Amino acid sequence: MDSAPLLSLLNDDLLIRILSFITHDSDRKSFRLVCRTFLKVDSFHRTHIRILRPEFITTLFSKFPRINSLDLSICPQINDEAVSMLMGHGSTHWSIRLRKLVLSRSTGLKSTGLEMFMKSCPVLESVDVSYCWDFGDKEAAALSFGGSLREVKMDRCLGVSDVGLAKIAIGCQCLEKLSLKWCSEITDLGVDLLTKKCTELKHLDISYLKVTSGSLRSISSLEKLEFLAMVGCSTVDNEGLHYLGKGCPSLQEYPTKIIQGLKDLKNLKTLVLDGALVSESFFKIINFNCKYLVEIGLGKCKGVTDKGIFQLVSGGLNLNVLNLTCCSDLTDIAISAITDSCRSLLCLKLECCNSLTGKSLYRLGLHCSLLEEIDLTDCFGVNDTGLSYLSKCTKLVCLKLGLCINITDKGLYAIARNCREIRELDLYRCKGIGDDGLYALSSGCKRMQKLNLSYCSEVTDKGIECLGHLPELYNLEMRSLLNVTGTGLTALATRCCGLAELDVKDCANIDDSGFMALAYYSRNLQQINLSHCAISDVGLCMVMGNMTRLQDAKLVNLYNVSTNGFEVALRACCVRLKKVKLVASLRLHLTPDIFKALRAKGCRIRWD
Amino acid sequence: MSSTKLLTLKTSDGEEFKLDEAVAVKSQAIKNMVEDDCVSNAIPLPNVDSKTMTKVIEYWKKHSEEGVSKDQLNDFDKGFLEVHHSVLYDLLLAANYLNDKELVDVICQEVADRIKGKTPEEIRKEFDIKNDFTPEEEEKIRQENAWAFD
Repeated sequence: MDSAPLLSLLNDDLLIRILSFITHDSDRKSFRLVCRTFLKVDSFHRTHIRILRPEFITTLFSKFPRINSLDLSICPQINDEAVSMLMGHGSTHWSIRLRKLVLSRSTGLKSTGLEMFMKSCPVLESVDVSYCWDFGDKEAAALSFGGSLREVKMDRCLGVSDVGLAKIAIGCQCLEKLSLKWCSEITDLGVDLLTKKCTELKHLDISYLKVTSGSLRSISSLEKLEFLAMVGCSTVDNEGLHYLGKGCPSLQEYPTKIIQGLKDLKNLKTLVLDGALVSESFFKIINFNCKYLVEIGLGKCKGVTDKGIFQLVSGGLNLNVLNLTCCSDLTDIAISAITDSCRSLLCLKLECCNSLTGKSLYRLGLHCSLLEEIDLTDCFGVNDTGLSYLSKCTKLVCLKLGLCINITDKGLYAIARNCREIRELDLYRCKGIGDDGLYALSSGCKRMQKLNLSYCSEVTDKGIECLGHLPELYNLEMRSLLNVTGTGLTALATRCCGLAELDVKDCANIDDSGFMALAYYSRNLQQINLSHCAISDVGLCMVMGNMTRLQDAKLVNLYNVSTNGFEVALRACCVRLKKVKLVASLRLHLTPDIFKALRAKGCRIRWD
Repeated sequence: MSSTKLLTLKTSDGEEFKLDEAVAVKSQAIKNMVEDDCVSNAIPLPNVDSKTMTKVIEYWKKHSEEGVSKDQLNDFDKGFLEVHHSVLYDLLLAANYLNDKELVDVICQEVADRIKGKTPEEIRKEFDIKNDFTPEEEEKIRQENAWAFD
């Protein structure tokens, strides 16, 4: 065949369209390597790049003319000198079109380097400097040179105070999205100035800041605000009490003032308040004022009662996302109120709501047919009957049933029969599950991608074999399944080619036969935990050597592997391994050469 | 009897297809012609052969049927797209020419699905594509993929 039909017939537009459906980076990389036309299309279409080494920036930017988003977070040694070298080369055409810059965890970067970035990127709209622990007011001042910035993420920039925030507020008045999570030096003063200058703010995260009701008053003036997160802003702990002791408003008043602040935020769509102490009037006023609310997070909040939920949703507040994790006072009455009003409910989190019974699941199955995600971890009242009611929610994509010890295979039959769209299923410690349930799942839920069977001790090789019939399975956790041997793992590996993440920790009866198969067939495996398995030197070497995509391995308590076995295995993969966990005693026995090799390639070693 | 208008489509190999206007306007190109009122005679489609047109019409008809559930449509689509890649190209070109964005997307998604999870060599094999890189070029790109960016 002369040249490929695919190439000569399809124009660039169609190839670009096909490429847009290819989302995984690894697939895009394979695409580039196929032929010249594909390489050209990828080079032309790529807008975002996450660079591994700074030396490559200028060449890559000249190859990819459309790049406007640069991620340097995994690039080692980004510091002021590196930046000045990048910028000072004269060929700074690439920085002129940069719209988004990710510098999270670039702890070597300081205000000089940051200022160079800001001044060289005139159209920069989004910058992420989260987890740069040392960032302080000087760095914030550098950021304020970004006059066209719309989005700034400053989570955990621990040194930034009101002074720095003020500089940003004055310099970046177009700001629409700002995250100040954990920036504990910021107080009400900073927030107040922010709200006065940055009136376009749509998204604000002030979680874990030591702010009081005064901030709420300021925030309530932001007419365009759609998303507000205030996790942990009123948690009473030793620090909080100390703070209160300095003469701040008492905890009784605080919830009321939150409410008064919130009632002016008429455009609010999302409110995340995890960990707060809420009162009844809170629910009434949210219901009355925030008519556009679609998502509310009340995880781990104190004071969430049936009556409160009823007041929240009554009168037709049609929520899409509701997080009630650990609101253990809630009973079936609350769920009844929710299902009456929120017919468009998409995501419901009820972890640890252990007073709920099958009645709630009945109502959910009856009224909330659009439900896609539900978390019932540790809900004691969930049993097989309940699951069969819940299975009427045929659009379920993510179902979490961890620690639901009262469910058996029967419950899974109902799910497998009706919930064909399920992609993620968590059955952690569901002791009643066995091979028959897995057989049903593998026939019915063909879209399954992520499955957790850890500690489901009844599962044997037969059940694991069935999982091979799930073509899209990429993440499997099966810790401590003592009835599974090499036979089961072999059967799984032969059929499940897409497997990328596997956890078989404590499966002490899986030996080399299973791992050899894994090494041969599971070419896509990126992450593996085989701690405490019966693998030997040969098996480990095969696994680490053959699996070319393996980047993260946990290899603790491998009693059948000798020190030499580890040496050989690690050497076989030191080129691509990024993270490895080893038992502490190996530190003394492995040669310094292997440590040097691993570190040179940027691999991080964790000691158990 | 409802007065549905019938349109005649003529493919590149001279075959004529009669189709309800309501179904045929899934193609934006045909829809434009209808609105411009130039459909009194057969609409010529010189870029589509009869084999491909038959399949396109099969798709249009199924997606215009009443009372078909989403699950049934999904099953139909899956079977419809289980064809050799050369048939997919013909379909894709036809859908693009006829300007049926929905069908173009469906086929592009199928091609993308056939690419996902495969190595470059496997992709070439799947689509009969010739590797036109020199060994040096290929190695350079491989290095870039491994070292330069994620």
